[in-house]
Amino acid sequence: MLEVTSLFAGYGGRPVLEEVTVRIEKGRLVGLLGANNAGKSTFIHTLSGVVPAMSGRIVFEGEDITTLSPQARVERGIIQVPEGRLVFPDMTIRENLLLGGQHKLARPKRSQRIDEVLELLPRLKERLEQKAGTLSGGEQQMLAIGRGLVAGPKLLMLDEPSLGLAPKFVQYIFEIIEKLHREGLTVLLVEQNLNLTLRHASYCYVLERGRVEVEGASSIVRDDPRTKKAYLGL
Amino acid sequence: MKPAFFQALRNPLWWLLLAALAMLPLGLPSYYLHIATLTLVYVALGSAWNIVGGVGGQISLAHSLFVGTGAMLASAMLLNSGINMWVGLVVAALVSGLMGFLIAVIDFRFKLGHLSFALITLAFAEMGEIIVIGWDYLGGASGLFLPRDKGDFSAFQFGGGEGAFYVMLFLAALSVLVSFAILNLPLGYYLRTIRDNENAARAIGVNIFRNKALAMVISAVLASIIGTAYARYLTFADPYLLSSPVLTIEIVLMATVGGLGRSMGPALGALLLVPLGEILRGKLGGVLPGLHYFVYGGVVVAVILATPRGLLPLIQERFARLRGNAKPEGSVASSGA
Repeated sequence: MLEVTSLFAGYGGRPVLEEVTVRIEKGRLVGLLGANNAGKSTFIHTLSGVVPAMSGRIVFEGEDITTLSPQARVERGIIQVPEGRLVFPDMTIRENLLLGGQHKLARPKRSQRIDEVLELLPRLKERLEQKAGTLSGGEQQMLAIGRGLVAGPKLLMLDEPSLGLAPKFVQYIFEIIEKLHREGLTVLLVEQNLNLTLRHASYCYVLERGRVEVEGASSIVRDDPRTKKAYLGL
Repeated sequence: MKPAFFQALRNPLWWLLLAALAMLPLGLPSYYLHIATLTLVYVALGSAWNIVGGVGGQISLAHSLFVGTGAMLASAMLLNSGINMWVGLVVAALVSGLMGFLIAVIDFRFKLGHLSFALITLAFAEMGEIIVIGWDYLGGASGLFLPRDKGDFSAFQFGGGEGAFYVMLFLAALSVLVSFAILNLPLGYYLRTIRDNENAARAIGVNIFRNKALAMVISAVLASIIGTAYARYLTFADPYLLSSPVLTIEIVLMATVGGLGRSMGPALGALLLVPLGEILRGKLGGVLPGLHYFVYGGVVVAVILATPRGLLPLIQERFARLRGNAKPEGSVASSGA
């Protein structure tokens, strides 16, 4: 479904990502691991088009999308749930969800998808007319995921969904992700949380200083000594 | 367009307010009519600025450029080229819209942050004033005296006093209506997502440039039209008043005091501050030079310290508490974008 080949990307002419090659097959839950500053967020931003690629190719469902605008990528179903639960605090939960499906391909199915999201995340249903800024951190993360789902994702990219959440919520969020995956959604999970990601993802990549250090089935990545090394920065 | 928009339009309160305002010239001595007209100028300008500055959260200090273009260019075209001021109004509005678009292009191309956006727009405004003052066609430093207003509508004349009041009432109502409509249209929602969090807006596929540019062009065109009418009202197109960045600062101040990002916020700010400023000048101006500015400044500082979000949100919350349910505007639309 997604093939990233020899990708270089970064800011101000200096590459953060170097020669990153990643393959995500349809229906998989793929983990992207790495310590702080490994380039995980840059990778997601390059996929969503916010950070331009310097060289390399991104192919999505057979189409070269390397130079497409962020809007065009959203329309193709590449949806990012940004790090830090970036919901719109002054708007209600309903408005946040509606905005998730604002692009023209999502509009016809928007209200149906919102119903599905509210079924999946009943906590949001009780608070539909409440301002998003009044939600707890975990609820905001649910809303951010819900907003992404309303957009009609083919590939859902989650940037550190567990960041700063209470353990109870982390557990819950991962259950939601697992459930979406089982229903057939392709997910790219970018995480620092090594154990949880290895448990849920079937295939993982470990980034270190912008390069893919380790890749393989989760059980293999778990036992590879380079994984620990990438995390501890030894 | 959203149900909330039409619901508000059907609310007789607004029409009564408009009718009451329209009756105002009947009983008002000319000095107070002047203050009322001036207030409407700032209601109109504040509401136009609010589209970019309040809803979009981009503190534009370039708006004197648009007001100045509307005033000076349209006046110059009439006096120096004999072109009808209606045509001048349209040409100036197009030029202003183009300048607004170019500012949006620069903003997008160089990914300006809030501070750099404010400073660069201020630099453009300063350049605009220098160009007006240095270019004789636009009146130079001495400005342009428009012919006496004989009430010839086809020549953009409205008969002074009362006529000017009605023109400004129309423009103020138009400006408020446009910003209210924008707040209830997808454009308003997109602008708010960009204001609240540009990265999150990108993540849901909002076209940042298109929405920012559209807001800027609409705001610039409105400001320019108001500028043309303001110059006609003053009969003297004064570059130091109409193309000076100080004008923008006044607008920003009033919008902030009233409440940014709400359709009635800037109007409320202007409604309070313009009469206050004028009356203080009338009463205190002769007592001690500068005393009226001192008092005016004190009031503004006090209000901003007391309610950093502006007076309107405060009033709405009090009102909502009294009624027990009403929601503050800015989140009224139930069906969203």
